[in-house]
Amino acid sequence: MSRLIPTAEMTLGPFFPREFAKDASDLVRGSSGEVIEITGVVSELDGKPLDNVILEIWQADAAGRFDNPGFSGWGRAATDAQGIYRFRTLRPGAAQGRAPHVNFLILYSGLMRQLQTVMFFSAAPDPVLNLVKEKERLIARQSGNTYRFDIRLRGGEETPFFDD
Amino acid sequence: MATRIEPRDPLTQAQGVEQGYAQTARRWPSQPLLRRPHGAAELSGPRDLAHKLPPVKGDLAGYGAKRALGQLTRLRIRVLDEDGAPLPGTVVEVWHCNSAGKYIHPNDTHDAPVDPNFYGAARLLTGDTGLIELRTIKPGAYPVPDTGGWWRPPHVHLSVWGRVWLSRLVTQMFFPGEPLNEADAILNAIRDPGARERCIARLVPSKGNEMIFEHQLVVRGRKGTAVMP
Repeated sequence: MSRLIPTAEMTLGPFFPREFAKDASDLVRGSSGEVIEITGVVSELDGKPLDNVILEIWQADAAGRFDNPGFSGWGRAATDAQGIYRFRTLRPGAAQGRAPHVNFLILYSGLMRQLQTVMFFSAAPDPVLNLVKEKERLIARQSGNTYRFDIRLRGGEETPFFDD
Repeated sequence: MATRIEPRDPLTQAQGVEQGYAQTARRWPSQPLLRRPHGAAELSGPRDLAHKLPPVKGDLAGYGAKRALGQLTRLRIRVLDEDGAPLPGTVVEVWHCNSAGKYIHPNDTHDAPVDPNFYGAARLLTGDTGLIELRTIKPGAYPVPDTGGWWRPPHVHLSVWGRVWLSRLVTQMFFPGEPLNEADAILNAIRDPGARERCIARLVPSKGNEMIFEHQLVVRGRKGTAVMP
């Protein structure tokens, strides 16, 4: 079968409509599991925080399943003027062969393509985390029910990112 | 059937840091991106997005006294996967500036007038053939601040979902015959001329009062089981 070539990705630009990022950062919606908050700062070279960065997440439910009709596992948030984003979600369970994790996708002005990274809850063995040298940069810092996951796009404590 | 995601030809995608677009050197990672094995997490995706992201504003041009300024335009955009199979019922987000080159966004400080009858954001669902249609006005060009003369050509921002997490596509659609297309740092970051050409819509003949532009988006994904890299 002939294959079509995927369309070129392009930057989101600085003017992603605010309302597109509203009301999509709460994944809980009555599903059962341990409710947590994931929050952090998105910054660029030199650590400057970035406004209106769009983050999307995709995660398993509390039992480690990606096909639960009662829990969509998808959310979107935008950073505020201080570079801070927040998600309210359920702590994911371990999917087969994986440690519990949350997939992140980052879209922004100056990013010619989407960036992909993964947040983990601990240094448990995981085939994706094992690829990373600076593992601690992908492990969220826990404080009660809040998990802090900062994303540095470039320089300093640069977050490891994945192509595909 | 399962979806698999294969590596792309780098010539058909922008590579990160682009001369002429200074922010890329502050934001694109300095370390090479890692390639990971694909399992259930990467090869599944949200099923109920239309509930979370409900359709809004199917017509941006308006009528009569509420008509937006600019040339009436109809966008016909089809979403397909790499096998050429249409994606019905998928969410498409569209946003663009007004005919004077001004966005509705509060961060747009460009000195161009706001059009009270134009709101440049729509969210639609593809029909059975993977098609969305949007009646709007043609966006204007605008200068990018602090770049020494870079003007963005008229373009439409598009955000779509494919079948799985890794088939997410955010891109821009350009208009044919625009002289600014030749020098745009974003369009020309795509090195392959054919891949650039596929980001430019096609004007189709119309007897009505709208210019009709047809466009195709190809999201990543083929049928079949993933091959571990």
